Amino acid sequence: MSILPYNSLMQLKIPSHSCAKTTRKSFSICARLDNSQQEEQQLNLSVLRFTFGIPGFDESYLPRWIGYGFGSLIVLNHFAFSNSVTSAQLRSEVLGLSLAAFSVTLPYLGKFLKGASPVSQKSLPESGEQIFVMSQNISDALKENLAWATYVLLRNTNSISVLISIRGELCVRGYWQTPDGASKTQLLEWFERQIENIGLSDLKDSLYFPQSADAGQWEMLPKGTCSVFVQPVIQAPNPSAVEVEKIEGFVLLASSMTYAYSHKDRAWIKAVSNKFRDLR
Amino acid sequence: MEAGTIFYSAIPWKPKRPFPRNPSSFPRFIRASASSQSQRGYRGPKPSKDLVADWVMSNDDAVRSLPIYVGGASLLAVLFNRTVSGIAPVADASSSQSRADLLAISLAVTSILTGLVWLSIRPKSITVVNPKGVECQMICSYLPDSVVSELLWAWESLSAVTCCRSLVVVYDGIYLLQIGMAAESGNSGEAVIVDASKLKQGSVYLGVMRSKAQRYLANLLLYPGRSELPFLPSNTQAVILQPLGDKGIAIIGGDTIRGFTTSDQSWIAFIGEKLDATLAKYSNIVPSMVQEGI
Repeated sequence: MSILPYNSLMQLKIPSHSCAKTTRKSFSICARLDNSQQEEQQLNLSVLRFTFGIPGFDESYLPRWIGYGFGSLIVLNHFAFSNSVTSAQLRSEVLGLSLAAFSVTLPYLGKFLKGASPVSQKSLPESGEQIFVMSQNISDALKENLAWATYVLLRNTNSISVLISIRGELCVRGYWQTPDGASKTQLLEWFERQIENIGLSDLKDSLYFPQSADAGQWEMLPKGTCSVFVQPVIQAPNPSAVEVEKIEGFVLLASSMTYAYSHKDRAWIKAVSNKFRDLR
Repeated sequence: MEAGTIFYSAIPWKPKRPFPRNPSSFPRFIRASASSQSQRGYRGPKPSKDLVADWVMSNDDAVRSLPIYVGGASLLAVLFNRTVSGIAPVADASSSQSRADLLAISLAVTSILTGLVWLSIRPKSITVVNPKGVECQMICSYLPDSVVSELLWAWESLSAVTCCRSLVVVYDGIYLLQIGMAAESGNSGEAVIVDASKLKQGSVYLGVMRSKAQRYLANLLLYPGRSELPFLPSNTQAVILQPLGDKGIAIIGGDTIRGFTTSDQSWIAFIGEKLDATLAKYSNIVPSMVQEGI
């Protein structure tokens, strides 16, 4: 009886000793042992991770810097240190420069892989101040829900600003580029006009601008906005009645990072916006 | 035991069409006829299709090994270049040809190493284990509508976004909600009912209440306190125990080992706070209703 577990232990030991060819395999065995011992484990595992150990220094951008550095060294070598350039050298240099260009794009490609976490933290804009305004004549329940939802969205996503519009009532929180010295009611009217101009209340599908080029045109967004996500709040249809799905409002989020909202973030934002679906 | 019994009703609630986990597909809309508001439509910019992101995300494995192939091919190309041009493949930095070659080789090695790092950080895909049990939708009938809709919203969000398949909410010693998959009692087809008083005496509940922090049991099968949660399906893979303030607990069962990410955990913590705020407002009403319900 007791021989059996002994055997299985032995079996585990043997592969790790023949390490010449199977170094990767021993890494993965270590990983599996780690898994069963640690309870709180992320879905992504890093077994082989190169790091300088300098806090705040992100190693995933290292290929980019190496690409720039070595590429410039190749160019320097070509112009400064060679008297006559043979065709063989030219071929080497072309190969080197294309490899350098490839290295430079590697961090950009790596951002989209599964399990990649965003490398930069959101940065707060230097200009502009934080505001928190809410429409006046709304029920207490709606006020509480708006306050909670805006708070949670700012805390839990990479956003610096949030705007929720439900059936014409607004709640705005975070950094916005608003006209100076306006009172709360004037601010609310100003936001309503901005929304009217863009036509955000008539959105039926969610909009995601991961890079600033498209969304930066909206006047009210703070300087330095890099991604914007708009999620409309649609009233759930009554399956028995033949009714048109009514648009109740939308939730708008802006962030100072590019590609700020992952698939999962957007799913959670949609879940939070569904809270307002049938709220009176 | 409190005086009187609490009636639990199966929720007379048609489950709404569950919204798909992939948020980019939405239900179709019927074009509305002209209403009193101006339906001029959205006039802002439309996001452009991000071809690179889409390509990388759909060919994840191939992209991870791409730098290795590129680096390997470049190393071979450098050697080939040397042999073709008749220069001996000797690595010294004396001639500019060698220097150019060395730089190209270093770049190729960087590329190979990046590819190896990408391969090693590939997330393990873990299979979903379908919970064994019965579907159950039980809710305390004395709750006001707003509380019911909030609890149901919490369930809808969790089941649509995370790997949650069961949700149980116990507050103030009374079990308020049991929804999703539940363990079957005997072979009756009925769900095992939550015994709130027994749960409150168990070490799982006491531990969570004492620490006032969320507890994530990422692999439930390894956890000995499993027996204190008999109402969850026996093959529930992961459980999050979220305290609701000082008085309640939400037990969230998932179908994947380590299926709840840190982002899910922080969202669940915030939802727990909101539920606590809502339930605390009504907790003084519920016990008095229990008395009347005798």
